[in-house]
Amino acid sequence: MKILELKNISKSFGAIHALENVDLDITPGEALGLMGDNGAGKSTLVKIVAGNFSPTNGEIFIAGKKTSISNPLEARNHGIEIVYQDLKLCNNLTASANVFLGREINSGFGFFSRLKHTAMNDRAAELFGELQSETRPNDLVERMSGGQRQAVALARTRLSDPKIVLLDEPTAAISIRQVAGILARIKQLKETGHAVILVSHRMMDVFECCDRVAVLRRGNKIADKPIANTSPEEVTGLITGALEKA
Amino acid sequence: MFSYNRLLFLIDHLIWGILVLVFVFFIFQSEYFLTERNISNILTAAAVLGVLVAGQTFVLISGNFDLSTESTLGLAALVGIWLIVPAGPTTFGGGIFMNPYLSIICSLSMGALIGYAIGCLITYGNMHNFIVTLAALLIIRGLMLAFTEGAPVSGFNNPSADVFYWLGHEKAFRVPGLGKISVAVLATGLVYIVCHLILKHHKFGRELYAIGGNRDAAEALGINVNRRIRQVYMLSGLLAALAGWMLAGRVVSIQSNLGETFIFTVFAGAVIGGVSLQGGRGTMLGALGGVLLLSTIDRGLNLMQVSVFWIKVIQGSVILVAMLIDAQRVRLKELSIIATSEKK
Repeated sequence: MKILELKNISKSFGAIHALENVDLDITPGEALGLMGDNGAGKSTLVKIVAGNFSPTNGEIFIAGKKTSISNPLEARNHGIEIVYQDLKLCNNLTASANVFLGREINSGFGFFSRLKHTAMNDRAAELFGELQSETRPNDLVERMSGGQRQAVALARTRLSDPKIVLLDEPTAAISIRQVAGILARIKQLKETGHAVILVSHRMMDVFECCDRVAVLRRGNKIADKPIANTSPEEVTGLITGALEKA
Repeated sequence: MFSYNRLLFLIDHLIWGILVLVFVFFIFQSEYFLTERNISNILTAAAVLGVLVAGQTFVLISGNFDLSTESTLGLAALVGIWLIVPAGPTTFGGGIFMNPYLSIICSLSMGALIGYAIGCLITYGNMHNFIVTLAALLIIRGLMLAFTEGAPVSGFNNPSADVFYWLGHEKAFRVPGLGKISVAVLATGLVYIVCHLILKHHKFGRELYAIGGNRDAAEALGINVNRRIRQVYMLSGLLAALAGWMLAGRVVSIQSNLGETFIFTVFAGAVIGGVSLQGGRGTMLGALGGVLLLSTIDRGLNLMQVSVFWIKVIQGSVILVAMLIDAQRVRLKELSIIATSEKK
């Protein structure tokens, strides 16, 4: 059973075709590595799934049902969570405020509602504990190290129990010790039945924790094969264009 | 032990220390400063400015500007009075004799509507907020002039104007030491309590900080940024109209230049109170401190009989000093970030 299926997805920004007829699917408990050179369309594809862009053409199926995702909140309601490449954190807010941004816990209703600060701080502390981060809920994000910032962004994906987790270059800006932590997290997500899409430049990461790798070049998907049937050399060739097709 | 956190806390709340210092300074300068009458005057003068600054604080925290509030204030006051007074060479009203409560509702909704229109121009029209609100500032002021042809609209000796008078002039009760507290001061206090609750304890306020801090992130996380910006301008317009009601009650005769050049003081108050022009930072409490400081200085200089020709120089210098302190605060904050991240 496919949890997410993309069919014939195209996206153009004016005259630029960022994606052309891309098909992609993923099953629960699977990790897919999405690779490609700069400007290949990886981030665009991920942002379409996360509801940041709507596709110019094509269809999205979630658990077999045709769905349109027109904004990030809808994507979350469908069980899709994303960690963006630039993490999308507000430096002027606390860790807890960042985790709950856009889905705060309120008491009351509408105009007369009130933020439940304690409940949110407690839950955030719990999440940081699960992620083995020393981050405290009331710390300001601007005073955090790269790893701590990453933990805040990761904690967001754990607020609900998502079905699909998208990670856009999660290892690009953190220390080597923390990379191991992220990879362990991905494996853990797989074991608990989540579908993971990992966008990455780092061959090592993809080959360590993904089951399948898809390669994009200039907006087209040119390869999609199990990790076991390929090698880093082949994938590199596909990314750079040395190999035309897999 | 020396701690950056403690230092930053002190700097963030420096405004209250400065306020006390300035207060003490004036007490020694003028024997009339610590009279009930003067304290009551300071508070009353702070009331109108305070309401405008409250609105501006919302706009600034969301990372925007609203230069138009002084004109909105003027037009709201003008329309409110014009609707209730007879037409004639001495009053220049509309001769509509509207129920005064209804006229206040009209003038408040007009303020909100002006704000909403500005918000729409910025978000749908994709224009820069500085230009849009600057144009609005001129257009609304121009409308006031064109509408009245420069003649004042006067509500003197008009029983319908009592509602305006009530908010602007009426004394609610007397507090020993503080003098008679006017309804305007109470209303402004209430405005600040509500605004503080919205900023600190409501989703709306939280989202404004997020938009001002990182608009991109707010958008990506599903916050409807443009809608929030329209709402924030609407709120600013509404509060400007409320300030207009207050001021109308104080002056009763509305000149077409009512509120002119107020906007500089509004920005000064907010910035002195620690509200960042870059967005995402500031509190209502701080803004209130800024307002009180400005009106204290204003009254104090008056009592010291400083020449009116010099008052503007002093006001400008106060703003400069406040900005200087703010710049040091930002630098210290950056230093402390480096210090804490190196510790890890």
